[in-house]
Amino acid sequence: MPTIVLVDVSLSMARPLPPTDGGEEYQRQNLANHGITTLLDYIATHSRLEFTALAVYSSLWELIVPFTRDYNELKNGLLKLDVFDKTRLDVALQEVRSTVLEEWSPITPCQLVLVTDGRSGIGPGSFRHLFDNPKGSKEKSLPIPFPFPCKIQVMLICSQSEALQTNALGLSQKLIDINGGGGNVHIPEGPLGLKSVQQMFLKLAESTYAPFYGTLSCGHLKSDIQLAPAPEGFNVKHDFETITRTVSPEIEVCGFIDVSDICSPPTISRHLVLPVTTKDSNGKNKEEDEVEDGKAPSFCVLLHGSLKVENMCAIVNVGSDWYGILYSWADSKKKSNLMLGLVQPGDESISWLGKFSNLAPCTDFDSHPYGEDDTKTPFPVRPAEKRSYAQNSVVWVRASGLQADIQKVLRQARKLPDKQQAFYKELNRLRKAALIIGFYELLEGVAAMLERECTLLPGTAHPDAALQLTHATKQLRLSVERDVTHNITPLQTNFTNEND
Amino acid sequence: MTFPASHKTVFVLDHSPEFAESCRQNVDFDIFTKSRGTGVIPLAPISKSLWTCAIEAVLEYCRIVFDLFPTGKLIRFVASDTESHLLNSWDADEQNLPHMAQSLARLGPPNENEDSSECSIMHGLASAVEVLCECSEKQHEVRTSLTEESSLIKNRGRIVCITSVKSDSHVKMLEEWVQDAITQHNKLAAGSDSLMPINLCELYLIHTMPLGVDSTITEDKHVVSSVLSSFIGASRSGRYLAHKLAQVVQVHFDLAITTITGIPMKEEQNASSSANYDVELLHHKLAHSDLVTFDSSGEMNTAMGLTLKWCTPRSNTIELQHCTGAFRVTPVDVISRPSSCLTNFLLNGRQVMLEQPRKIGAKIVSHMLTSHGGEIFIHCLMITRSTLEDPPSISEGCGGRVTDYRITDFGEFMKDNRIAPKESTVDVDIEDSPIMNVKSQLERQTRHWPMVISNTIVFNMLSHVDPLPSLITKEHLDEDDVVECKKSIYHLVGMETKGDALPVPVMGSRGKGPKREEQYRQMWSELETLVRSCSDLSPAHEQVLDCVLDCRKPSEDNPKSSKRKQVVEPKEDVAEKISPSETEQAWQSLDKYKGMTEREKRDFNLGDSNNDHMKYDSPLSPDPPAKKQKTLTGEKKKDGGPKSFLALWNNKLNSIYSQKHIEFAGRNTTPGGVDELYPHMKSEEDGSPVNGNNQS
Repeated sequence: MPTIVLVDVSLSMARPLPPTDGGEEYQRQNLANHGITTLLDYIATHSRLEFTALAVYSSLWELIVPFTRDYNELKNGLLKLDVFDKTRLDVALQEVRSTVLEEWSPITPCQLVLVTDGRSGIGPGSFRHLFDNPKGSKEKSLPIPFPFPCKIQVMLICSQSEALQTNALGLSQKLIDINGGGGNVHIPEGPLGLKSVQQMFLKLAESTYAPFYGTLSCGHLKSDIQLAPAPEGFNVKHDFETITRTVSPEIEVCGFIDVSDICSPPTISRHLVLPVTTKDSNGKNKEEDEVEDGKAPSFCVLLHGSLKVENMCAIVNVGSDWYGILYSWADSKKKSNLMLGLVQPGDESISWLGKFSNLAPCTDFDSHPYGEDDTKTPFPVRPAEKRSYAQNSVVWVRASGLQADIQKVLRQARKLPDKQQAFYKELNRLRKAALIIGFYELLEGVAAMLERECTLLPGTAHPDAALQLTHATKQLRLSVERDVTHNITPLQTNFTNEND
Repeated sequence: MTFPASHKTVFVLDHSPEFAESCRQNVDFDIFTKSRGTGVIPLAPISKSLWTCAIEAVLEYCRIVFDLFPTGKLIRFVASDTESHLLNSWDADEQNLPHMAQSLARLGPPNENEDSSECSIMHGLASAVEVLCECSEKQHEVRTSLTEESSLIKNRGRIVCITSVKSDSHVKMLEEWVQDAITQHNKLAAGSDSLMPINLCELYLIHTMPLGVDSTITEDKHVVSSVLSSFIGASRSGRYLAHKLAQVVQVHFDLAITTITGIPMKEEQNASSSANYDVELLHHKLAHSDLVTFDSSGEMNTAMGLTLKWCTPRSNTIELQHCTGAFRVTPVDVISRPSSCLTNFLLNGRQVMLEQPRKIGAKIVSHMLTSHGGEIFIHCLMITRSTLEDPPSISEGCGGRVTDYRITDFGEFMKDNRIAPKESTVDVDIEDSPIMNVKSQLERQTRHWPMVISNTIVFNMLSHVDPLPSLITKEHLDEDDVVECKKSIYHLVGMETKGDALPVPVMGSRGKGPKREEQYRQMWSELETLVRSCSDLSPAHEQVLDCVLDCRKPSEDNPKSSKRKQVVEPKEDVAEKISPSETEQAWQSLDKYKGMTEREKRDFNLGDSNNDHMKYDSPLSPDPPAKKQKTLTGEKKKDGGPKSFLALWNNKLNSIYSQKHIEFAGRNTTPGGVDELYPHMKSEEDGSPVNGNNQS
């Protein structure tokens, strides 16, 4: 989840703290920088694959460091911060929106960490002004809600009494609510100072950027793993249920499937599966540990190797009624990795696999589902009904559709008695469709047409052709009184017997 | 949970005599007379009735819904004349086109001769409200589920009424009628167990008239009350009505259209030339979600349509794409030639990538069309920057430096543990579901599964041990299986007695491989671990374990071999490491010789350069190449330590022989030829006559 740290650099951030006994004098901006450094350090240690950007705003906006994994660069960026004029959040939010959309996609979840002293500004562009002028007014409307899923974490660098004074809590909460993507307002506990601000940021870091550790197991084969990025909880409203799930730390393999059978199913998120050791590596012999780690066999590596070689995936259970797929994935040609793709929670989230809970080992079947010589596959699972495009649908909304179907009947009619079966098949298809939509005029029309065909038969024609055409004409005219399921059958003649 | 109104849709169809009237759009159905020569007068064009046009349009609506949403979206038909006719129910087996079509055919078109003053659409509207109060299967399930949802459930639905109204006040009257009906039925439903009050009803009133007649109705949408919203539309009949409903269905089910452009297709008349065609596909609009664009004012541009370019598929290689969504599609015009060409191509198992039309820049493939089990899906592919770019390689992490993983064996393991869909069984508990069988099979098969080649002996000699390892992990062993397992064990015993070499991989530094007895000891203990791990599965499994233990014992009890073992134990973890004397070394060599096969013995004596046995003790020969056979030679002193007597003797003989001549090939193959060493030992083994002249 990419993070954008948006720092308020309006003049009010330069306000000094009330002096403490003998301590150094700090400005709010110093506190903010200190807090952000804490956050960045935490991310760098625990979730170093996360992207973070640093931006500042006053009445203007500037992207100091674009999205990067280089946390030193971000910290260096912090050192450059200066203080400018007044707060104008709307511009900043607008820019956040375009920056994120430019860099990522509208479906990439992001996090906005807004660091401010809670002074909402005055006049156009202030919080209050924006909220009081809802969409549709002449003023430019609020750039939130963002078109991408985005949590907003508001980090208030102010004391609790100040927050009350300025209603910073209420306004910030309103901002989060309008965006609708979740998030929280954070305020330092206790007196405003380096320590309380650091604590506040650390709390945010631990709640949001905590690494995800778990185990991947396949029977007795096990590996300790980290998922990067850490999977988010899943919360989605369906038509008849609200699904709330979290990924279980025990990820269990429950079978294997060929890549060609799984057919690129849609995933809601993807996570690198990184094998880790359970040993707490102390700083001292970290390097030695790494060497040792490299030499101890890991199930993850074995699994990855085999999945890659065999072009297969593993189906894993990641929680109650929730599954994922493990596969070998390569960003570049050289570096491949084990990837976990989470599919929508639910038993039937990949319709062509059927229900996950109905997947069985090959030994449960009388005949091998993949064939003894591995030449067939039990997938995909076919739905009971055929879709309209997979069957011979009749749609006469346009005249061309109707004309084509009539032509089919005529074409077979002219080849009677050879094409008797095909003729009656087409005729019945047409008859049925006409009865369904109550198009009785057509039945009469086609009957007339067949009558004419009969008169146009050449002298060399087989006598049966005339008999069948007359029969079909008569039956077609009678069909209105008959049930739709009652098909017209060929006339039994001596000739037909002969043909048989 | 959202409980959308799209769950239940009721079509109210005007079945009054007025609808028997022609729509006044003529259909030339007799257009094939030209080829019949002169003199044939085409039949007069015919026209559909208003009823026929309405049914066609509604069936198209249903076709789209059922193609895109096989479950969860229900549609009912009510026809209204002098009374209302319910044509189907909410039950799943009546929610399909064939059933609806049959009911419509049985109902037939309106009767022109009926007294139109006795017919009213109000009968149908009242019935529609009534059926909306009936629970669908899904609603019933949720309502009685005793979960949180059961108390929150909302009954929402739509009524789509196709009729002909006289004026705006007539519309108003119908709205009020529906409102009254809802109020009354909600009262009824409140006191009933089986019915549900309507929480929200969307009424779509579509006024239709023959061509050439002007609409007297103003299109409008407004909220009538908290439970009723009304949408008034008008459309000429004929294909205009079908078009109108095709738009309505897009609104009702949040659909969007993707136009596939540039589909190459052979021309119907001229098969040698090909032209490019476009096909429009309907699908849920989420398939466009990662393509929202923003206009200059920053407003989201959610146009209903999107055009994507066909990319001719190059190969059939299957790759796992990063796909963020998959949605069913259906052609807007299902019977047109381009549509059916495209759908057939996809149904035959081909995948088509779709590219964004861009004049400049690299090509961006944003979607993929493919079919799964007779259903066509549009897959959305990730086209923007991934947050997982530039990840560390797996070889950089834990276990990344190990090079002898049993990749191929695990590949076989995976193939054996592939899964297949079972026929849907009636609601079984998750604990009994088939997928649990897979998990327990995986559990059994991995009880002893060494991950690296150097950690196993048994799995490196599967040709000797089979079928025991695959049988022992079965849940149940029948008698034949037990026999097979025992056969495998006896085979190993045989190998050990014969002194056959084990295909053991090289471990550690050169020359430190364990001796054969040690290898057998390790092999037996690994086999025991394997069999013991499964011994609790059944008494038959225990039998196999007993067999292993029985067979293992004698070799350990054998004083001679155990003594040897102590003496020559090369492993460092053996506490008492007795440094072997020269004589003992010689004895070992002898012993080893005894264990050799005939062929090896010949090679040994010959000094066959393909065999390590000779090089083994020659101070002049280079170190043996690192291959499996090497460990057979037992320990080798790096500093060229004490040589065995046998080796010295053989060296001498060899050097003499090699100086004299190349060994006569015939001699080697002659039964009882010159290459027989220690014939008395051979006679002890197989009792064959002793002859040979090469004894030391």
